[in-house]
Amino acid sequence: MRRSLGNFWKTVNQRNFFAPTARMQVYTEKHIESRIVEKLENVPFIKAVDQSDGCGGKFHVIVVSEKFQGKPLLQRHRLVNSALTEELKTIHAFSQKTYTPEEWEKEKGN
Amino acid sequence: MYKCAISNKFIFFRNEKLSIVLFSAEWADQCKQVLDAMNELNNQSKSTIQMLNVPAEDLSDVSIKHQIEAVPTVIFFKNGSAVDRIDGVNIPSLTQKCRKLVEIEESKPNLESRLSALIKKSKVMIFMKGSRNEPKCGFSKQLIALINELGVTYDTFDILTDEEVRQGLKKFSDWPTYPQVYVNGELIGGLDIIKEMHVSGDLITTLKA
Repeated sequence: MRRSLGNFWKTVNQRNFFAPTARMQVYTEKHIESRIVEKLENVPFIKAVDQSDGCGGKFHVIVVSEKFQGKPLLQRHRLVNSALTEELKTIHAFSQKTYTPEEWEKEKGN
Repeated sequence: MYKCAISNKFIFFRNEKLSIVLFSAEWADQCKQVLDAMNELNNQSKSTIQMLNVPAEDLSDVSIKHQIEAVPTVIFFKNGSAVDRIDGVNIPSLTQKCRKLVEIEESKPNLESRLSALIKKSKVMIFMKGSRNEPKCGFSKQLIALINELGVTYDTFDILTDEEVRQGLKKFSDWPTYPQVYVNGELIGGLDIIKEMHVSGDLITTLKA
């Protein structure tokens, strides 16, 4: 009741189907920063740090934005996360610190 | 868990529900019988099944991945994983396996109501990688250490054991990462937020609210 795919497998075996596939997207600190700036627009200070030793899977970011004014932490983090929807699918460890410009001035003073 | 994300033309294996995929070839008449049977099953069922006919030789990467040595071959996929297969024409078996899988699918509560119940399972609910005694990621580990320090009671859910919850909860709560902390069914945040709340002193009040 079955028909063999013999010819197909013959051709398959002649070709190298098991060559490594394209490498996973690796993001740079610059890329992460620019994605957040695009989303939040007015960003007096931003710093993304790749903590992954080069694999691009672990980032810490510090974001200062006027848009955080009056927003609880959860909303602030949501805002930053929403700038990195695509990126967070492959970044496996992501941490962030969010400040309004005033909070940032105080933080720097400490 | 094995996930197929290989085809250049189709992404059907990522379908969250049930997929029944026929690997066929135009020159093999036997495939038509199976195709007819699948169409019939599709008409009978109310929903939940995705039926696909794949030209085995054209979609070579998929066929190789699933060791399709002859046609027709039918493979059953659930949540992106192959769960069963039938080599050759066997309509009674096809019908039976299909009905069984649909039954299982329909008897499960839907994901959304399951998630709503899960986040309220305990007053403080933590979705993490691993368990409280054996956290499997640095962030989950730090979180558990911090919460333990406060001496509040909580329950945990290991998202590594349930891919459906793992992906579903991200969408449900619009939060892309783990761990996640809920109090009275409300998302409080991830590790960063918990840490900041701890420093500001808000954490203990929130957890005991």
